Amino acid sequence: MAALLDIKGLRKQFGGVTALAGVDLTVNEGEILGVVGPNGSGKTTLFNSVTGVHRPTAGTVSWRGRDITGIPANAVSRAGIAYTFQQAMAFPGLSVFENVQIATEHCSNTLTNRPWTTPASLLEFVGLSGLSGEKAGILPFGRLRLLGLALALATRPSLILLDEPAAGLNDRETTTLVHLVEQFPEHGISVCVIDHDMKLMQMLCRRLAVLDFGSKIADGPTADVLNDPKVLEVYLGGAL
Amino acid sequence: MPASHSFRSLLPVLILLVLLALVPLLSPSNRFVSLAISAGINVIALYGLSVLFGQTGILSMGHAALVGIGAYTAAILARDFNIGFWLSIPLAGIMAAIVAALIGIPSLRVSGHHFVIMTFAFGQLLAIILTNGGDYTGAASGLDVQQPVALFGLSIDVLTHYYLTVVFFVALSAIASWAIINSRYGRTLRAIRENEKLAASLGINVGRHKIGAFIVSGVFAGVSGVLLAYFLRHISPSQFSSFPSIYLALMVMIGGARLLLGPLAGGILVAFLPELLNLDPVQSRILYGVCLIAVILLLPNGLIAGIIAGWHKMFDRRAAQPSEPAVEREGK
Ligand SMILES: Nc1ncnc2c1ncn2[C@@H]1O[C@H](COP(=O)(O)OP(=O)(O)O)[C@@H](O)[C@H]1O
Ligand SMILES: [Mg+2]
Repeated sequence: MAALLDIKGLRKQFGGVTALAGVDLTVNEGEILGVVGPNGSGKTTLFNSVTGVHRPTAGTVSWRGRDITGIPANAVSRAGIAYTFQQAMAFPGLSVFENVQIATEHCSNTLTNRPWTTPASLLEFVGLSGLSGEKAGILPFGRLRLLGLALALATRPSLILLDEPAAGLNDRETTTLVHLVEQFPEHGISVCVIDHDMKLMQMLCRRLAVLDFGSKIADGPTADVLNDPKVLEVYLGGAL
Repeated sequence: MPASHSFRSLLPVLILLVLLALVPLLSPSNRFVSLAISAGINVIALYGLSVLFGQTGILSMGHAALVGIGAYTAAILARDFNIGFWLSIPLAGIMAAIVAALIGIPSLRVSGHHFVIMTFAFGQLLAIILTNGGDYTGAASGLDVQQPVALFGLSIDVLTHYYLTVVFFVALSAIASWAIINSRYGRTLRAIRENEKLAASLGINVGRHKIGAFIVSGVFAGVSGVLLAYFLRHISPSQFSSFPSIYLALMVMIGGARLLLGPLAGGILVAFLPELLNLDPVQSRILYGVCLIAVILLLPNGLIAGIIAGWHKMFDRRAAQPSEPAVEREGK
Protein backbone atom coordinates (compact mmCIF):
# COMPACT_ATOMS: atom_id res chain seq x y z
CA MET A 1 0.00 0.00 0.00
CA ALA A 2 1.34 3.40 -0.98
CA ALA A 3 1.18 6.37 1.39
CA LEU A 4 -1.38 8.83 0.13
CA LEU A 5 -0.97 11.39 2.88
CA ASP A 6 2.31 11.57 4.75
CA ILE A 7 2.50 13.82 7.80
CA LYS A 8 5.91 14.33 9.38
CA GLY A 9 6.78 16.11 12.63
CA LEU A 10 3.66 18.26 12.50
CA ARG A 11 3.59 20.95 15.21
CA LYS A 12 0.97 23.55 15.97
CA GLN A 13 1.26 26.19 18.68
CA PHE A 14 -1.51 28.55 19.71
CA GLY A 15 0.43 31.14 21.67
CA GLY A 16 1.76 29.19 24.60
CA VAL A 17 -0.45 26.15 23.97
CA THR A 18 1.15 23.30 22.06
CA ALA A 19 -1.80 21.61 20.38
CA LEU A 20 0.38 19.33 18.25
CA ALA A 21 3.84 18.41 19.47
CA GLY A 22 5.33 16.86 16.33
CA VAL A 23 3.06 14.18 14.94
CA ASP A 24 3.97 11.60 12.28
CA LEU A 25 1.06 9.91 10.54
CA THR A 26 0.44 8.28 7.19
CA VAL A 27 -2.82 7.47 5.51
CA ASN A 28 -2.55 4.69 2.94
CA GLU A 29 -4.45 4.37 -0.28
CA GLY A 30 -7.74 2.55 0.20
CA GLU A 31 -7.79 2.38 4.00
CA ILE A 32 -10.08 3.71 6.69
CA LEU A 33 -7.83 5.04 9.43
CA GLY A 34 -9.21 6.01 12.83
CA VAL A 35 -7.79 8.76 15.03
CA VAL A 36 -8.80 8.74 18.69
CA GLY A 37 -7.73 10.52 21.85
CA PRO A 38 -9.17 12.41 24.79
CA ASN A 39 -10.76 15.84 24.34
CA GLY A 40 -8.16 18.49 23.66
CA SER A 41 -5.54 15.98 22.52
CA GLY A 42 -5.14 17.74 19.17
CA LYS A 43 -7.23 15.63 16.79
CA THR A 44 -9.15 18.53 15.26
CA THR A 45 -5.99 20.62 15.14
CA LEU A 46 -4.33 17.81 13.19
CA PHE A 47 -7.06 17.96 10.54
CA ASN A 48 -7.10 21.76 10.54
CA SER A 49 -3.34 21.87 10.01
CA VAL A 50 -3.54 19.50 7.06
CA THR A 51 -6.51 21.17 5.36
CA GLY A 52 -5.35 24.77 5.41
CA VAL A 53 -7.66 25.99 8.17
CA HIS A 54 -4.51 26.59 10.24
CA ARG A 55 -0.96 26.92 9.06
CA PRO A 56 1.24 24.42 10.94
CA THR A 57 4.04 25.85 13.06
CA ALA A 58 6.50 23.18 11.86
CA GLY A 59 6.57 19.86 10.07
CA THR A 60 5.57 18.76 6.60
CA VAL A 61 2.50 17.37 4.89
CA SER A 62 2.98 15.41 1.66
CA TRP A 63 0.19 14.41 -0.65
CA ARG A 64 1.04 11.69 -3.17
CA GLY A 65 4.68 12.67 -2.68
CA ARG A 66 4.06 16.38 -3.23
CA ASP A 67 4.72 18.87 -0.43
CA ILE A 68 1.43 20.62 0.41
CA THR A 69 2.43 22.05 3.80
CA GLY A 70 0.54 25.24 4.57
CA ILE A 71 -1.32 25.57 1.27
CA PRO A 72 -4.73 27.32 1.52
CA ALA A 73 -7.95 25.40 2.17
CA ASN A 74 -9.30 25.77 -1.37
CA ALA A 75 -6.08 24.37 -2.83
CA VAL A 76 -6.24 21.40 -0.43
CA SER A 77 -9.75 20.68 -1.67
CA ARG A 78 -8.62 20.90 -5.27
CA ALA A 79 -5.75 18.53 -4.57
CA GLY A 80 -8.36 15.91 -3.64
CA ILE A 81 -8.66 16.10 0.15
CA ALA A 82 -12.17 16.72 1.53
CA TYR A 83 -12.97 17.68 5.12
CA THR A 84 -16.15 17.52 7.18
CA PHE A 85 -15.97 19.78 10.21
CA GLN A 86 -16.57 18.75 13.81
CA GLN A 87 -19.29 21.41 14.01
CA ALA A 88 -21.64 20.17 11.27
CA MET A 89 -21.65 22.88 8.60
CA ALA A 90 -23.71 23.86 5.60
CA PHE A 91 -24.82 27.08 3.91
CA PRO A 92 -27.86 27.62 6.17
CA GLY A 93 -29.71 30.24 4.11
CA LEU A 94 -29.55 28.23 0.88
CA SER A 95 -31.59 25.23 -0.17
CA VAL A 96 -30.20 21.74 0.33
CA PHE A 97 -30.00 21.38 -3.45
CA GLU A 98 -28.16 24.67 -3.88
CA ASN A 99 -25.71 23.63 -1.15
CA VAL A 100 -24.70 20.53 -3.08
CA GLN A 101 -24.89 22.33 -6.42
CA ILE A 102 -22.29 24.85 -5.26
CA ALA A 103 -20.01 22.06 -4.11
CA THR A 104 -20.24 20.19 -7.42
CA GLU A 105 -19.72 23.37 -9.43
CA HIS A 106 -16.39 24.00 -7.78
CA CYS A 107 -15.09 20.49 -8.15
CA SER A 108 -12.06 20.62 -10.43
CA ASN A 109 -11.22 16.93 -10.24
CA THR A 110 -11.95 15.07 -13.40
CA LEU A 111 -11.86 11.67 -11.70
CA THR A 112 -14.65 9.75 -13.31
CA ASN A 113 -14.70 6.68 -11.10
CA ARG A 114 -17.25 8.28 -8.79
CA PRO A 115 -20.84 7.16 -8.77
CA TRP A 116 -21.97 10.56 -7.49
CA THR A 117 -21.23 13.52 -9.70
CA THR A 118 -24.52 15.39 -9.90
CA PRO A 119 -26.26 17.13 -6.98
CA ALA A 120 -29.23 14.79 -7.39
CA SER A 121 -27.11 11.63 -7.23
CA LEU A 122 -25.26 12.92 -4.16
CA LEU A 123 -28.50 13.72 -2.35
CA GLU A 124 -29.83 10.33 -3.30
CA PHE A 125 -26.69 8.63 -1.93
CA VAL A 126 -26.94 10.28 1.50
CA GLY A 127 -30.73 9.93 1.53
CA LEU A 128 -31.66 13.62 1.39
CA SER A 129 -33.46 13.68 -1.98
CA GLY A 130 -36.79 14.41 -0.32
CA LEU A 131 -35.41 17.54 1.34
CA SER A 132 -33.67 19.15 -1.62
CA GLY A 133 -36.00 22.18 -1.64
CA GLU A 134 -35.67 22.88 2.10
CA LYS A 135 -33.34 25.47 3.53
CA ALA A 136 -30.29 23.79 5.00
CA GLY A 137 -30.68 25.94 8.13
CA ILE A 138 -33.85 24.12 9.17
CA LEU A 139 -32.43 20.59 8.89
CA PRO A 140 -32.24 18.54 12.08
CA PHE A 141 -28.70 17.85 13.22
CA GLY A 142 -28.42 14.30 11.85
CA ARG A 143 -29.52 15.42 8.41
CA LEU A 144 -27.10 18.33 8.54
CA ARG A 145 -24.24 15.86 9.09
CA LEU A 146 -25.38 13.88 6.04
CA LEU A 147 -25.51 17.08 3.99
CA GLY A 148 -21.95 17.84 5.13
CA LEU A 149 -20.94 14.42 3.85
CA ALA A 150 -22.62 15.09 0.49
CA LEU A 151 -20.77 18.41 0.20
CA ALA A 152 -17.45 16.72 0.89
CA LEU A 153 -18.15 13.95 -1.64
CA ALA A 154 -19.15 16.53 -4.24
CA THR A 155 -15.54 17.66 -4.47
CA ARG A 156 -14.66 14.15 -5.75
CA PRO A 157 -11.93 13.60 -3.17
CA SER A 158 -9.36 10.83 -3.02
CA LEU A 159 -9.18 11.24 0.75
CA ILE A 160 -11.88 12.38 3.11
CA LEU A 161 -11.21 13.58 6.66
CA LEU A 162 -14.20 13.13 8.97
CA ASP A 163 -14.12 14.94 12.32
CA GLU A 164 -16.54 13.24 14.72
CA PRO A 165 -19.10 12.43 12.01
CA ALA A 166 -21.28 10.46 14.44
CA ALA A 167 -21.37 13.03 17.25
CA GLY A 168 -24.98 13.95 17.96
CA LEU A 169 -26.41 11.16 15.80
CA ASN A 170 -28.84 8.57 17.15
CA ASP A 171 -28.20 4.83 16.68
CA ARG A 172 -30.14 4.59 13.45
CA GLU A 173 -28.37 7.58 11.94
CA THR A 174 -25.02 6.18 13.05
CA THR A 175 -25.78 2.90 11.29
CA THR A 176 -26.64 4.81 8.12
CA LEU A 177 -23.37 6.73 8.39
CA VAL A 178 -21.30 3.56 8.85
CA HIS A 179 -23.00 2.03 5.85
CA LEU A 180 -22.11 5.07 3.73
CA VAL A 181 -18.51 5.44 4.89
CA GLU A 182 -17.79 1.73 4.46
CA GLN A 183 -18.45 2.15 0.75
CA PHE A 184 -15.89 4.91 0.23
CA PRO A 185 -12.74 2.79 -0.31
CA GLU A 186 -14.31 0.74 -3.08
CA HIS A 187 -14.96 4.03 -4.90
CA GLY A 188 -11.36 5.13 -4.57
CA ILE A 189 -11.85 7.32 -1.50
CA SER A 190 -9.56 6.71 1.47
CA VAL A 191 -10.81 7.82 4.87
CA CYS A 192 -9.33 9.25 8.03
CA VAL A 193 -11.94 9.50 10.77
CA ILE A 194 -11.94 10.97 14.27
CA ASP A 195 -14.56 9.74 16.72
CA HIS A 196 -15.10 8.93 20.37
CA ASP A 197 -17.52 6.09 19.66
CA MET A 198 -15.25 3.04 19.97
CA LYS A 199 -17.92 0.64 18.68
CA LEU A 200 -18.14 2.75 15.53
CA MET A 201 -14.36 2.91 15.21
CA GLN A 202 -14.02 -0.87 15.60
CA MET A 203 -16.61 -1.37 12.89
CA LEU A 204 -14.97 1.05 10.46
CA CYS A 205 -11.24 1.01 11.05
CA ARG A 206 -8.64 -1.69 10.73
CA ARG A 207 -5.96 0.72 11.89
CA LEU A 208 -6.11 3.20 14.74
CA ALA A 209 -3.82 6.05 15.81
CA VAL A 210 -4.06 7.53 19.31
CA LEU A 211 -3.20 11.11 20.24
CA ASP A 212 -2.57 12.35 23.75
CA PHE A 213 -1.46 15.90 24.60
CA GLY A 214 -0.59 16.56 20.97
CA SER A 215 1.60 13.47 20.54
CA LYS A 216 0.91 10.15 18.91
CA ILE A 217 1.17 7.42 21.54
CA ALA A 218 0.02 4.44 19.48
CA ASP A 219 -0.56 3.46 15.87
CA GLY A 220 -1.41 0.01 14.55
CA PRO A 221 -4.10 -2.63 14.01
CA THR A 222 -7.24 -1.64 15.91
CA ALA A 223 -7.30 -4.65 18.27
CA ASP A 224 -3.64 -4.22 19.22
CA VAL A 225 -4.01 -0.50 19.86
CA LEU A 226 -7.05 -1.00 22.05
CA ASN A 227 -5.07 -3.45 24.21
CA ASP A 228 -1.98 -1.25 24.40
CA PRO A 229 -1.30 -0.44 28.10
CA LYS A 230 -0.35 3.16 27.20
CA VAL A 231 -3.70 3.64 25.51
CA LEU A 232 -5.62 2.00 28.34
CA GLU A 233 -3.89 4.31 30.77
CA VAL A 234 -4.92 7.42 28.78
CA TYR A 235 -8.51 6.29 28.86
CA LEU A 236 -8.24 5.19 32.56
CA GLY A 237 -9.75 1.91 31.45
CA GLY A 238 -13.18 3.49 31.44
CA ALA A 239 -13.99 4.83 28.01
CA LEU A 240 -12.96 1.66 26.22
CA MET B 1 -33.44 26.27 -9.98
CA PRO B 2 -35.22 26.40 -13.34
CA ALA B 3 -34.87 29.62 -15.34
CA SER B 4 -38.62 30.16 -15.54
CA HIS B 5 -38.83 30.27 -11.76
CA SER B 6 -35.98 32.73 -11.32
CA PHE B 7 -37.41 34.96 -14.05
CA ARG B 8 -40.33 35.57 -11.70
CA SER B 9 -38.09 37.75 -9.54
CA LEU B 10 -37.11 39.94 -12.50
CA LEU B 11 -40.58 40.39 -13.92
CA PRO B 12 -42.06 42.72 -11.26
CA VAL B 13 -38.99 44.93 -11.51
CA LEU B 14 -39.31 45.20 -15.29
CA ILE B 15 -43.04 45.90 -15.09
CA LEU B 16 -42.42 48.62 -12.52
CA LEU B 17 -39.73 50.16 -14.71
CA VAL B 18 -42.03 50.17 -17.74
CA LEU B 19 -44.65 51.96 -15.63
CA LEU B 20 -42.00 54.42 -14.42
CA ALA B 21 -41.00 55.04 -18.06
CA LEU B 22 -44.60 56.13 -18.71
CA VAL B 23 -44.56 58.72 -15.92
CA PRO B 24 -43.55 61.63 -18.24
CA LEU B 25 -46.94 61.17 -19.98
CA LEU B 26 -48.55 62.52 -16.81
CA SER B 27 -46.55 65.75 -17.31
CA PRO B 28 -44.95 65.76 -13.85
CA SER B 29 -43.17 68.87 -12.52
CA ASN B 30 -39.47 69.41 -13.30
CA ARG B 31 -38.75 69.09 -9.61
CA PHE B 32 -40.36 65.63 -9.58
CA VAL B 33 -38.47 64.45 -12.67
CA SER B 34 -35.17 65.73 -11.24
CA LEU B 35 -35.76 63.84 -8.00
CA ALA B 36 -36.64 60.74 -9.98
CA ILE B 37 -33.43 61.03 -12.01
CA SER B 38 -31.35 61.35 -8.82
CA ALA B 39 -33.13 58.35 -7.38
CA GLY B 40 -32.51 56.31 -10.54
CA ILE B 41 -28.82 57.20 -10.60
CA ASN B 42 -28.53 55.97 -7.01
CA VAL B 43 -30.48 52.81 -7.82
CA ILE B 44 -27.86 51.87 -10.44
CA ALA B 45 -25.12 52.02 -7.80
CA LEU B 46 -27.43 50.20 -5.37
CA TYR B 47 -27.76 47.24 -7.74
CA GLY B 48 -23.97 46.93 -7.55
CA LEU B 49 -24.08 47.21 -3.77
CA SER B 50 -26.74 44.51 -3.65
CA VAL B 51 -24.34 42.09 -5.35
CA LEU B 52 -21.64 43.04 -2.86
CA PHE B 53 -23.70 43.25 0.32
CA GLY B 54 -26.77 41.16 -0.45
CA GLN B 55 -25.05 38.26 -2.17
CA THR B 56 -21.51 38.30 -0.80
CA GLY B 57 -22.23 39.81 2.62
CA ILE B 58 -19.58 42.53 2.39
CA LEU B 59 -20.46 46.10 3.30
CA SER B 60 -18.80 49.03 1.57
CA MET B 61 -18.87 52.34 3.40
CA GLY B 62 -17.09 54.20 0.62
CA HIS B 63 -19.19 53.39 -2.36
CA ALA B 64 -19.93 56.99 -3.27
CA ALA B 65 -16.19 57.36 -3.88
CA LEU B 66 -16.44 54.78 -6.68
CA VAL B 67 -19.39 56.74 -8.08
CA GLY B 68 -17.07 59.75 -7.88
CA ILE B 69 -14.37 57.91 -9.85
CA GLY B 70 -16.98 57.35 -12.56
CA ALA B 71 -18.14 60.97 -12.51
CA TYR B 72 -14.62 62.47 -12.59
CA THR B 73 -13.55 60.02 -15.29
CA ALA B 74 -16.47 61.20 -17.44
CA ALA B 75 -15.72 64.88 -16.78
CA ILE B 76 -11.99 64.53 -17.50
CA LEU B 77 -12.56 62.41 -20.63
CA ALA B 78 -14.95 65.06 -21.92
CA ARG B 79 -12.59 67.95 -21.15
CA ASP B 80 -9.26 66.46 -22.23
CA PHE B 81 -10.19 63.93 -24.90
CA ASN B 82 -13.49 65.21 -26.17
CA ILE B 83 -14.99 61.84 -25.33
CA GLY B 84 -18.75 62.05 -24.86
CA PHE B 85 -21.44 60.41 -22.75
CA TRP B 86 -21.82 57.03 -24.46
CA LEU B 87 -18.15 56.12 -24.64
CA SER B 88 -17.65 57.42 -21.10
CA ILE B 89 -20.08 54.82 -19.75
CA PRO B 90 -17.88 51.77 -20.42
CA LEU B 91 -14.62 53.66 -19.80
CA ALA B 92 -15.79 54.99 -16.43
CA GLY B 93 -17.09 51.54 -15.52
CA ILE B 94 -13.65 50.09 -16.23
CA MET B 95 -11.92 52.88 -14.34
CA ALA B 96 -14.08 52.38 -11.24
CA ALA B 97 -13.46 48.63 -11.50
CA ILE B 98 -9.70 49.19 -11.56
CA VAL B 99 -9.87 51.45 -8.51
CA ALA B 100 -12.09 48.90 -6.74
CA ALA B 101 -9.44 46.26 -7.46
CA LEU B 102 -6.72 48.51 -6.04
CA ILE B 103 -8.67 48.98 -2.79
CA GLY B 104 -10.02 45.44 -2.67
CA ILE B 105 -6.83 43.46 -3.21
CA PRO B 106 -5.02 44.61 -0.07
CA SER B 107 -8.07 44.90 2.18
CA LEU B 108 -10.33 41.98 1.23
CA ARG B 109 -7.63 39.38 1.73
CA VAL B 110 -7.82 40.05 5.43
CA SER B 111 -11.31 40.32 6.94
CA GLY B 112 -14.73 41.88 6.63
CA HIS B 113 -14.38 44.46 9.40
CA HIS B 114 -11.08 45.54 8.00
CA PHE B 115 -12.72 46.09 4.64
CA VAL B 116 -15.49 48.36 5.98
CA ILE B 117 -12.85 50.62 7.51
CA MET B 118 -10.71 50.55 4.36
CA THR B 119 -13.61 51.60 2.13
CA PHE B 120 -14.50 54.40 4.54
CA ALA B 121 -10.90 55.61 4.57
CA PHE B 122 -10.77 55.42 0.78
CA GLY B 123 -13.82 57.70 0.57
CA GLN B 124 -12.11 60.29 2.74
CA LEU B 125 -8.84 59.93 0.87
CA LEU B 126 -10.47 60.43 -2.51
CA ALA B 127 -12.15 63.63 -1.35
CA ILE B 128 -8.75 64.91 -0.18
CA ILE B 129 -7.06 63.96 -3.45
CA LEU B 130 -9.79 65.60 -5.54
CA THR B 131 -9.72 68.74 -3.40
CA ASN B 132 -5.94 69.02 -3.76
CA GLY B 133 -5.78 68.01 -7.40
CA GLY B 134 -5.35 71.57 -8.64
CA ASP B 135 -6.69 72.42 -12.09
CA TYR B 136 -6.75 68.79 -13.10
CA THR B 137 -9.59 67.93 -10.71
CA GLY B 138 -10.84 71.49 -10.30
CA ALA B 139 -9.92 71.41 -6.59
CA ALA B 140 -12.72 72.10 -4.10
CA SER B 141 -14.99 73.75 -6.66
CA GLY B 142 -14.91 70.70 -8.96
CA LEU B 143 -15.43 70.31 -12.69
CA ASP B 144 -18.05 71.28 -15.25
CA VAL B 145 -19.28 68.88 -17.89
CA GLN B 146 -20.27 70.66 -21.05
CA GLN B 147 -20.56 67.94 -23.69
CA PRO B 148 -24.10 67.65 -25.03
CA VAL B 149 -25.76 64.22 -24.86
CA ALA B 150 -27.56 62.85 -27.87
CA LEU B 151 -28.86 59.56 -29.16
CA PHE B 152 -29.20 59.11 -32.94
CA GLY B 153 -29.07 62.89 -33.33
CA LEU B 154 -31.85 63.39 -30.78
CA SER B 155 -30.84 65.51 -27.79
CA ILE B 156 -31.22 63.72 -24.49
CA ASP B 157 -30.48 66.86 -22.50
CA VAL B 158 -34.19 67.52 -22.27
CA LEU B 159 -35.11 66.53 -18.71
CA THR B 160 -37.69 63.86 -19.62
CA HIS B 161 -35.35 62.34 -22.22
CA TYR B 162 -32.60 62.12 -19.66
CA TYR B 163 -35.10 60.57 -17.28
CA LEU B 164 -35.86 57.84 -19.81
CA THR B 165 -32.14 57.26 -20.35
CA VAL B 166 -31.71 56.76 -16.61
CA VAL B 167 -34.68 54.37 -16.47
CA PHE B 168 -33.04 52.42 -19.29
CA PHE B 169 -29.80 52.12 -17.33
CA VAL B 170 -31.69 51.16 -14.18
CA ALA B 171 -33.31 48.35 -16.18
CA LEU B 172 -29.89 47.24 -17.48
CA SER B 173 -28.51 47.25 -13.93
CA ALA B 174 -31.46 45.26 -12.62
CA ILE B 175 -31.06 42.69 -15.39
CA ALA B 176 -27.29 42.48 -14.84
CA SER B 177 -27.79 42.05 -11.11
CA TRP B 178 -30.47 39.41 -11.71
CA ALA B 179 -28.21 37.54 -14.14
CA ILE B 180 -25.40 37.53 -11.57
CA ILE B 181 -27.68 36.37 -8.74
CA ASN B 182 -28.98 33.45 -10.80
CA SER B 183 -25.63 32.35 -12.17
CA ARG B 184 -23.05 29.94 -10.87
CA TYR B 185 -21.07 33.02 -9.90
CA GLY B 186 -23.95 34.31 -7.78
CA ARG B 187 -24.20 30.98 -6.00
CA THR B 188 -20.48 31.13 -5.25
CA LEU B 189 -20.91 34.58 -3.72
CA ARG B 190 -23.82 33.38 -1.57
CA ALA B 191 -21.76 30.43 -0.39
CA ILE B 192 -19.11 32.89 0.80
CA ARG B 193 -21.77 35.00 2.51
CA GLU B 194 -23.22 31.97 4.28
CA ASN B 195 -20.01 30.29 5.46
CA GLU B 196 -16.52 31.30 4.34
CA LYS B 197 -14.75 28.41 6.03
CA LEU B 198 -16.99 25.82 4.40
CA ALA B 199 -16.79 27.60 1.03
CA ALA B 200 -12.99 27.44 1.14
CA SER B 201 -13.06 23.75 2.06
CA LEU B 202 -15.09 23.09 -1.09
CA GLY B 203 -12.42 24.60 -3.31
CA ILE B 204 -13.71 28.18 -3.53
CA ASN B 205 -11.04 30.88 -3.53
CA VAL B 206 -12.82 33.12 -1.04
CA GLY B 207 -10.44 36.09 -1.20
CA ARG B 208 -10.44 36.24 -4.99
CA HIS B 209 -14.23 36.10 -5.25
CA LYS B 210 -14.71 38.81 -2.63
CA ILE B 211 -12.40 41.08 -4.60
CA GLY B 212 -14.29 40.11 -7.74
CA ALA B 213 -17.63 41.06 -6.20
CA PHE B 214 -16.22 44.43 -5.16
CA ILE B 215 -14.92 45.02 -8.69
CA VAL B 216 -18.32 44.11 -10.15
CA SER B 217 -20.03 46.53 -7.77
CA GLY B 218 -17.48 49.13 -8.89
CA VAL B 219 -18.64 48.86 -12.51
CA PHE B 220 -22.21 49.71 -11.47
CA ALA B 221 -20.90 52.63 -9.40
CA GLY B 222 -18.81 53.94 -12.29
CA VAL B 223 -21.78 53.92 -14.68
CA SER B 224 -23.89 55.64 -12.04
CA GLY B 225 -21.19 58.32 -11.78
CA VAL B 226 -21.28 59.12 -15.50
CA LEU B 227 -25.05 59.57 -15.39
CA LEU B 228 -24.66 61.81 -12.36
CA ALA B 229 -21.97 63.97 -13.97
CA TYR B 230 -24.03 64.49 -17.13
CA PHE B 231 -27.17 65.18 -15.11
CA LEU B 232 -25.74 67.72 -12.69
CA ARG B 233 -23.28 69.14 -15.23
CA HIS B 234 -21.08 70.06 -12.32
CA ILE B 235 -19.34 67.75 -9.87
CA SER B 236 -17.31 68.46 -6.74
CA PRO B 237 -15.48 66.37 -4.13
CA SER B 238 -18.04 66.73 -1.34
CA GLN B 239 -20.64 64.83 -3.40
CA PHE B 240 -18.58 61.67 -3.05
CA SER B 241 -17.41 61.84 0.54
CA SER B 242 -18.49 59.73 3.49
CA PHE B 243 -22.03 61.07 3.92
CA PRO B 244 -23.21 60.07 0.44
CA SER B 245 -21.54 56.69 0.98
CA ILE B 246 -23.44 56.14 4.20
CA TYR B 247 -26.64 57.12 2.39
CA LEU B 248 -26.03 54.47 -0.27
CA ALA B 249 -25.43 51.80 2.37
CA LEU B 250 -28.58 52.99 4.13
CA MET B 251 -30.70 52.85 0.98
CA VAL B 252 -29.65 49.30 0.20
CA MET B 253 -30.38 48.22 3.77
CA ILE B 254 -33.76 49.95 3.88
CA GLY B 255 -34.87 48.46 0.58
CA GLY B 256 -33.26 45.11 1.24
CA ALA B 257 -30.13 43.90 -0.48
CA ARG B 258 -31.09 40.34 -1.36
CA LEU B 259 -34.27 40.91 -3.35
CA LEU B 260 -34.26 42.43 -6.80
CA LEU B 261 -36.92 44.96 -5.84
CA GLY B 262 -34.87 46.09 -2.82
CA PRO B 263 -32.48 48.59 -4.46
CA LEU B 264 -35.34 50.13 -6.45
CA ALA B 265 -37.50 50.53 -3.35
CA GLY B 266 -34.61 51.84 -1.24
CA GLY B 267 -33.49 54.39 -3.83
CA ILE B 268 -36.98 55.71 -4.48
CA LEU B 269 -38.00 55.87 -0.83
CA VAL B 270 -34.93 57.71 0.35
CA ALA B 271 -35.19 60.22 -2.52
CA PHE B 272 -38.91 60.94 -2.20
CA LEU B 273 -39.72 60.49 1.48
CA PRO B 274 -38.36 63.88 2.67
CA GLU B 275 -40.15 65.54 -0.26
CA LEU B 276 -43.45 63.86 0.55
CA LEU B 277 -43.16 64.71 4.24
CA ASN B 278 -41.84 68.20 3.50
CA LEU B 279 -38.71 67.80 5.64
CA ASP B 280 -35.65 70.03 5.73
CA PRO B 281 -32.19 68.38 5.36
CA VAL B 282 -31.59 68.09 9.11
CA GLN B 283 -35.01 66.57 9.72
CA SER B 284 -34.55 64.13 6.87
CA ARG B 285 -31.19 62.99 8.24
CA ILE B 286 -32.87 62.29 11.56
CA LEU B 287 -35.65 60.44 9.74
CA TYR B 288 -33.11 58.28 7.89
CA GLY B 289 -31.36 57.44 11.12
CA VAL B 290 -34.64 56.39 12.71
CA CYS B 291 -35.64 54.42 9.59
CA LEU B 292 -32.34 52.60 9.54
CA ILE B 293 -32.59 51.57 13.17
CA ALA B 294 -36.19 50.48 12.65
CA VAL B 295 -35.32 48.42 9.59
CA ILE B 296 -32.31 46.76 11.23
CA LEU B 297 -34.34 45.87 14.31
CA LEU B 298 -37.68 44.97 12.71
CA LEU B 299 -36.94 43.96 9.13
CA PRO B 300 -33.35 42.74 8.95
CA ASN B 301 -33.80 41.68 5.31
CA GLY B 302 -35.13 45.07 4.30
CA LEU B 303 -38.52 46.57 3.60
CA ILE B 304 -39.47 44.46 0.58
CA ALA B 305 -38.59 41.14 2.24
CA GLY B 306 -40.52 42.34 5.30
CA ILE B 307 -43.59 43.17 3.24
CA ILE B 308 -43.47 39.81 1.44
CA ALA B 309 -43.08 37.95 4.73
CA GLY B 310 -45.99 39.93 6.20
CA TRP B 311 -48.12 39.23 3.17
CA HIS B 312 -47.45 35.50 3.42
CA LYS B 313 -48.24 35.52 7.12
CA MET B 314 -51.61 37.17 6.49
CA PHE B 315 -52.36 35.05 3.47
CA ASP B 316 -51.36 31.84 5.23
CA ARG B 317 -53.41 32.68 8.31
CA ARG B 318 -56.48 33.09 6.14
CA ALA B 319 -55.74 29.82 4.39
CA ALA B 320 -54.96 28.27 7.80
CA GLN B 321 -51.69 26.80 6.57
CA PRO B 322 -48.19 26.84 8.00
CA SER B 323 -45.93 29.59 6.73
CA GLU B 324 -43.78 27.31 4.59
CA PRO B 325 -43.91 29.26 1.29
CA ALA B 326 -42.74 32.40 3.07
CA VAL B 327 -39.56 30.60 4.10
CA GLU B 328 -39.05 29.48 0.51
CA ARG B 329 -39.22 32.90 -1.01
CA GLU B 330 -37.61 35.08 1.59
CA GLY B 331 -34.03 36.12 1.05
CA LYS B 332 -34.02 35.10 -2.59
N1 LIG C 1 -8.04 28.10 17.25
C1 LIG C 1 -7.47 27.79 18.42
N2 LIG C 1 -6.93 28.76 19.18
C2 LIG C 1 -6.33 28.46 20.36
N3 LIG C 1 -6.25 27.23 20.86
C3 LIG C 1 -6.77 26.21 20.16
C4 LIG C 1 -7.42 26.45 18.90
N4 LIG C 1 -7.84 25.25 18.41
C5 LIG C 1 -7.50 24.33 19.32
N5 LIG C 1 -6.86 24.90 20.37
C6 LIG C 1 -6.29 24.19 21.54
O1 LIG C 1 -5.55 23.11 21.06
C7 LIG C 1 -5.74 21.96 21.85
C8 LIG C 1 -6.25 20.81 21.00
O2 LIG C 1 -7.58 21.07 20.59
P1 LIG C 1 -8.35 20.18 19.51
O3 LIG C 1 -7.45 19.94 18.36
O4 LIG C 1 -9.63 20.84 19.23
O5 LIG C 1 -8.57 18.84 20.32
P2 LIG C 1 -9.53 17.61 20.02
O6 LIG C 1 -10.13 17.78 18.66
O7 LIG C 1 -8.64 16.42 20.12
O8 LIG C 1 -10.56 17.61 21.09
C9 LIG C 1 -6.70 22.35 22.96
O9 LIG C 1 -5.95 22.71 24.09
C10 LIG C 1 -7.38 23.55 22.40
O10 LIG C 1 -7.79 24.43 23.40
MG1 LIG D 1 -12.09 17.98 18.07
